[in-house]
Amino acid sequence: MNDVAALGFGMHPWGKFPEKRLNDICRVAVESALGDAGIAWKEVEAVCAASSRFSGGKGWGLNGNDVVEDMGSTGVPVYNMSAGCAAGSNAFNVGYTMIKSGIHDVVLVVGGEKMPKGFIQTSGLEDETDPEYLRQRCVGLPGPGFWAMLTRARMEEYGTTEEDLAAVAVKAHQVGTHNENARFRQLFSLEDVLNSNMVSHPLRLYEICPVSDGAAAVVLCSAEFARKKTTQPIWAASTAVATARFDDGLPRGLACVPGEGRPHHSEARISVAKALEAADLGPKDLDFVELQDNTVYYELAFPEEWGMCKPGESERLLHAGETLPTGRMPINPSGGFLCFGEATTAQGLFQICEVGWQLRGECGPRQVPNARVGMAQSIGLGGNGTAAILKR
Amino acid sequence: MSEPSTVQAVEGLFSQTPEGPRLLGSRCANCRTPYFPRSETCHNPECERSDMQDDSFGPAGRLISIALQNYPPPPPTIASDPYVTYGVGLVDLPEGLRVIGRLLADDPEQVPVGGNVALVIAPLGHDAEGREVLSWQWKPI
Repeated sequence: MNDVAALGFGMHPWGKFPEKRLNDICRVAVESALGDAGIAWKEVEAVCAASSRFSGGKGWGLNGNDVVEDMGSTGVPVYNMSAGCAAGSNAFNVGYTMIKSGIHDVVLVVGGEKMPKGFIQTSGLEDETDPEYLRQRCVGLPGPGFWAMLTRARMEEYGTTEEDLAAVAVKAHQVGTHNENARFRQLFSLEDVLNSNMVSHPLRLYEICPVSDGAAAVVLCSAEFARKKTTQPIWAASTAVATARFDDGLPRGLACVPGEGRPHHSEARISVAKALEAADLGPKDLDFVELQDNTVYYELAFPEEWGMCKPGESERLLHAGETLPTGRMPINPSGGFLCFGEATTAQGLFQICEVGWQLRGECGPRQVPNARVGMAQSIGLGGNGTAAILKR
Repeated sequence: MSEPSTVQAVEGLFSQTPEGPRLLGSRCANCRTPYFPRSETCHNPECERSDMQDDSFGPAGRLISIALQNYPPPPPTIASDPYVTYGVGLVDLPEGLRVIGRLLADDPEQVPVGGNVALVIAPLGHDAEGREVLSWQWKPI
């Protein structure tokens, strides 16, 4: 099996760009990643792309085909991956596998999305066999309510307070303010967050991520190819993909079996555990993680569920500054989704770009000192979960 | 004939029975896993032979979490007009099932997690045709 290098990272900043086409946004990310890798478009042997639900792709999620047409129709194979909000990192997993197995030497992974306004209506189907339709029709629990339900359960179990929740958002912006690719870079005080509108009690507006437009791209290559370009490549140590288990106690539709323990995203727990095992690492060996913080809850719950710290310990670590880039367990040095907003299928790749830049030591005031190994993690509709570990 | 003035949010998910309101689901006769709504197959990976039979659930359970819906959700959700914040409860039933449902409570913010709730069939609001739309809801007891 070949070692896999992540040779180039590129991003179009996250924001709202009504005047730009999706192709324009993707081209910025792709050209930036190619330039960073020091390769020409013609050297790309295959493209793995996130399938967008909301924009481009000829309405069929053929977003990789759009990129190839835009960059130049070289005849390369295109793999369009659909995994809800985990699509970008799912595409990364497929690209990684192709290099690892020796099928290709150079693969471009890309995700771009222009989002419609407002909170996401997860499936959008009007179909009485669709669990999401049933949930909205018979009950009425959009995404923020789903997150609120998880959050309230944590508050009951660990005594997490509304101030604790707000402090996660304060910390995210304290870091994200230094990221030129982030959309929401203003600093918030605890009062600012607590005074923002209640969206779904106990979660407030500044504690959940809005939607954004954005694109990101990564060039993956074999170790042999990487050595021709650089003496200090970033390595993709492992990637893993999982789906939710039957008994994790988290109802994706109307109901589920309670299972053992707290309701949790088993797809995240399993993909992280598999990625750590494949990289021969333990959860405490990670120098930092980029995790999917659709809401502040996840930044508290996920590190505990993955064994990075003890159950119920996250609030203390947060208040002690241990989740800042300079702390012992840095979480989301990019600023995370709270500062980027969600460009659903592209965001798994902004996380991987951040991990790569951190490992190179290029992140300025938000740099994790001496970062040697980092992880990116995402989840998506359908119970999809992914994790990728990069190291230098 | 005039249109019925009351409709179910989705047909076939619940009913009023002489024993009280019930959620209509199924259970695998082989591994005893319950499902709501009905499932054609058993999803338990440990179950080697799916044997689905109709079953029904209720009339009570325990609240394990609550979310409030502080803004009016978009269609297809039905809510009161003018809009009033409602709660949604995550409820564990003794039959081994965890089910979400709207909370039937005047002040959902005061409803304690951990308390018992009864299954009731009650209106969510009115649809575009002015018909009252019914669904299952959880009433604190």
